[in-house]
Amino acid sequence: MNTFSLKKLFFFEKTPLNLLMAVLTVGLLAAFFAGVANYILHGHHAYNVTRQHPWGLLISMYVFFVVSSTGLCIISSIGHVFGIKEFQQIGKRAIAGAIITISSGFAVIAFEIGHPVTMMIYNVLTPGLTSAIWWMGTLYGLYLTFICLEFFFLAVKEHHTLSKIFGICGLLVGLAAHSNLGAVFGFLVSRPSANGVFYPVYFILSAMITGCYLIFLMYGFRYKMNFPDKVQVMLVKLSKILGMLLAVLIFFEIWKILTALYGDMPERAATILHAVQHPNFWLGELTLGMLIPFTVILLSNAQAIKATVYASILGMVGIFFMRYGLVHDTLLYPMTTLKRAEYELAPTFVEYFPSITEFAIGLGGIGLSLFLYYIADKVFNLDETEGAHH
Amino acid sequence: MARYGMALNYKSCINCRACESACKEENGVLLLKDHYRIWVGVKEAEGEFPNISIASQTYHPSQCQHCSNAPCQMVCPTNATYYGTDGMVMVDPVKCILCTYCINACPYDARYVDQRTMTVDKCTFCSDTRLAAGETTTACQATCPTKVRVFGDLDDPKSEISQLLANKEYRQVKEHLGTKPKLFYIV
Ligand code: SF4
Ligand code: SF4
Repeated sequence: MNTFSLKKLFFFEKTPLNLLMAVLTVGLLAAFFAGVANYILHGHHAYNVTRQHPWGLLISMYVFFVVSSTGLCIISSIGHVFGIKEFQQIGKRAIAGAIITISSGFAVIAFEIGHPVTMMIYNVLTPGLTSAIWWMGTLYGLYLTFICLEFFFLAVKEHHTLSKIFGICGLLVGLAAHSNLGAVFGFLVSRPSANGVFYPVYFILSAMITGCYLIFLMYGFRYKMNFPDKVQVMLVKLSKILGMLLAVLIFFEIWKILTALYGDMPERAATILHAVQHPNFWLGELTLGMLIPFTVILLSNAQAIKATVYASILGMVGIFFMRYGLVHDTLLYPMTTLKRAEYELAPTFVEYFPSITEFAIGLGGIGLSLFLYYIADKVFNLDETEGAHH
Repeated sequence: MARYGMALNYKSCINCRACESACKEENGVLLLKDHYRIWVGVKEAEGEFPNISIASQTYHPSQCQHCSNAPCQMVCPTNATYYGTDGMVMVDPVKCILCTYCINACPYDARYVDQRTMTVDKCTFCSDTRLAAGETTTACQATCPTKVRVFGDLDDPKSEISQLLANKEYRQVKEHLGTKPKLFYIV
């Protein structure tokens, strides 16, 4: 832990990039609190969710954050738990990031769940053991505890064995929690486009990709693109892993879409066809989230680290659309196809666009993450401790 | 213990929506856009002139199906949605955390958020209003001018609904999902 004072805490070098990040952080944080204030005043009326589209941007952002957290945890475990030497240096930074992102996720979801306090009480008193949300929530609570302990023994009171033990526990529980989050969608018998094994598996895969993007971003910012050799070597390896993961993801997606369209099964085919034609998918999720980063890695044979850092920014934008699409596409198809009044048209795909408040809280959560990361970076030494061999 | 269900002679429905009003009145459902426990679906006539099928234009009264294998109950993290007495699927507003998972999970669009309690609400077959007061009919049934609705105990072989289902052909909605719904559309 570093010694720090308030003055030190808010002092940073005034480079254009730093200033930009500071403005971004403060702006997003302000948006978050403004959104929360509006929610407190107007409740769920401040959101654009409806009976036919009960989940919206906030659920997407929750998924976005916890996917980031799980991804960072998995990627950090390559060095920290599995002992691959080059990756041991990312342990502390990645776990700090994992704690921060999941905390932001919890902050966002607290304003989506109508009664978060009731949840804590009745999750314990009358647990719904057949509910994927129950398992996901409970396991994520446990996961947060484990990774906090892991971080404590990594960065505060260094203890190699304990940090490794909690690291393994965090990893296993995180994987279980995260695939359960996939199952929240995969278990929906009412939604043929989401129902099935795809989401639980794909969640883990896309989490690893998100983790890689975030590590690139954190290191790109940390070293301002002037990477020491040791970091360069690690990032080249990470880039190769990322390339492989992206290839697998693209392969998965192709087969998911083909299977959904093949045979034109009712509801499923129409939903997926509608979804893939939307720019959110082909431009956001596919081009930004997968193809551009993949092309950069492929063409440079994983050597162009700086370009990969920039591609990771696009990658994260793509990941946002991926999460948004996950929720929106699942709810696209109307559950009753008959119209309810004589002079209206029969229901077609359900429409939804987030309200200002939803944007403010959801994207504001990113400000929360940036702010907490800034603080963590000041308070703790997130680089590998010199001479320590883990 | 009974096992309540409802048969619907939907071909007799004239889309007067007296049932919608009666339900709102009896159960105090708010007059807001997304607030309805029951509704009448309008199916338009099929075919093109001159072969328009008049018979295909029908009205489909609908509501919570009180599924015997209810997806909404399975997904509820706090057991706020539970199987009550007489096989009815109920929501306990004290335990509901408003995660709205059940709204996503219901294949029939039967649930909505009640703006007063900020918990999930849906048709209860009038169990807490009329049945609790000793009545044997639901509000929608009692008010229906063309006697579309027959509410009763599926386990009692002598009940009107059991007789009807034994003697008539019926179909159910999204049966293939395995929800075992308890609304029966008499054809
Ligand atoms: S119709 Fe919907 S709300 Fe009613 S029991 Fe079935 S799944 Fe639940
Ligand atoms: S909204 Fe309420 S009733 Fe529905 S699943 Fe969540 S806690 Fe259960």
